Amino acid sequence: MRLKDSLSNEPVSRLALRDPVLCLPDEAISEAVSRMRDRKLGCVIVVDDERRPVGLFTENMLSRLVASDPSGLRDKLRARMAEQCHCVRPTDPVARVLEAMQRSNTRFVCVVDDDGKVVGLTGQKGLMEFIADHFPQQVMVQRVGSPPPSQREGA
Amino acid sequence: MGQPEDKKPDFEDPLSDYSETYADALEQALSEEPVTAIQAQPFASVSPDTPISAAVELLSRLHVACLLVADGDKLLGVFTDRDVLDRVALEYDSVKDQPISTVMTPDPVFVYETDSTGAALAVIAVSGHRHVPVLTLDGSVVGVVSPHRVTGFLQSVYETT
Repeated sequence: MRLKDSLSNEPVSRLALRDPVLCLPDEAISEAVSRMRDRKLGCVIVVDDERRPVGLFTENMLSRLVASDPSGLRDKLRARMAEQCHCVRPTDPVARVLEAMQRSNTRFVCVVDDDGKVVGLTGQKGLMEFIADHFPQQVMVQRVGSPPPSQREGA
Repeated sequence: MGQPEDKKPDFEDPLSDYSETYADALEQALSEEPVTAIQAQPFASVSPDTPISAAVELLSRLHVACLLVADGDKLLGVFTDRDVLDRVALEYDSVKDQPISTVMTPDPVFVYETDSTGAALAVIAVSGHRHVPVLTLDGSVVGVVSPHRVTGFLQSVYETT
């Protein structure tokens, strides 16, 4: 299947969805940061009592907060979160994730079920992995200090 | 004994008529377009002795998620929102005056400007680094490719095919 067809036809459920960090609006930002660290995730999804998303707090918002008001880490999430959380359903095409990220300039897209409850997290990383799977021959990782290709020996 | 009527050449290159074929334009773009087809500027860089507080303030003021840490033209590391999350936010009062070199991610994975766009995407997807410095073959910094810039590139190809 062509990559473009894959993006249009394959469902979001085919992405490697991540288990998100879920927090309630009254939890402290510092607590959310600790959980983001532990889980190596760049955001928490703020949910209501029924796991429906009501907001998002990202590492990018954390950097802004540290720069402007480091004491704000003691605030509750509801005071600093973004109240818009972009969502897709598992049955939506993968292309919908790409559209959501470009339209809203966000890295994270929440995956919800038919009742609007959070079932996963995807976004840039999931999409990059999905597309990279189509191009295994392109995997070429180098580190600073490696000689450029023209100076390498052999093929 | 005479000469054969149709003398064949001694060697025939089996790849002489080879040309790469792609399933669609998006695959072709990822394989053949150089990484310079992806937006890599503007980018911001700081010296390794920049105080952490100043670097965090710069991230915020410039509305960027990544600073390149360089000594002149030599790339030493990157400092990103993830570094703020992992090593700065909860310890801010005790680390804010330390140099950025103490909390940056050293020796970042990079691509050369001659690499394919697919290579930059693979670095992000495989190595897990969201910001990929782009270097000339002699090691000078050209810019930085982010996932947002990659998805912008993908979207532009996707919409024109």
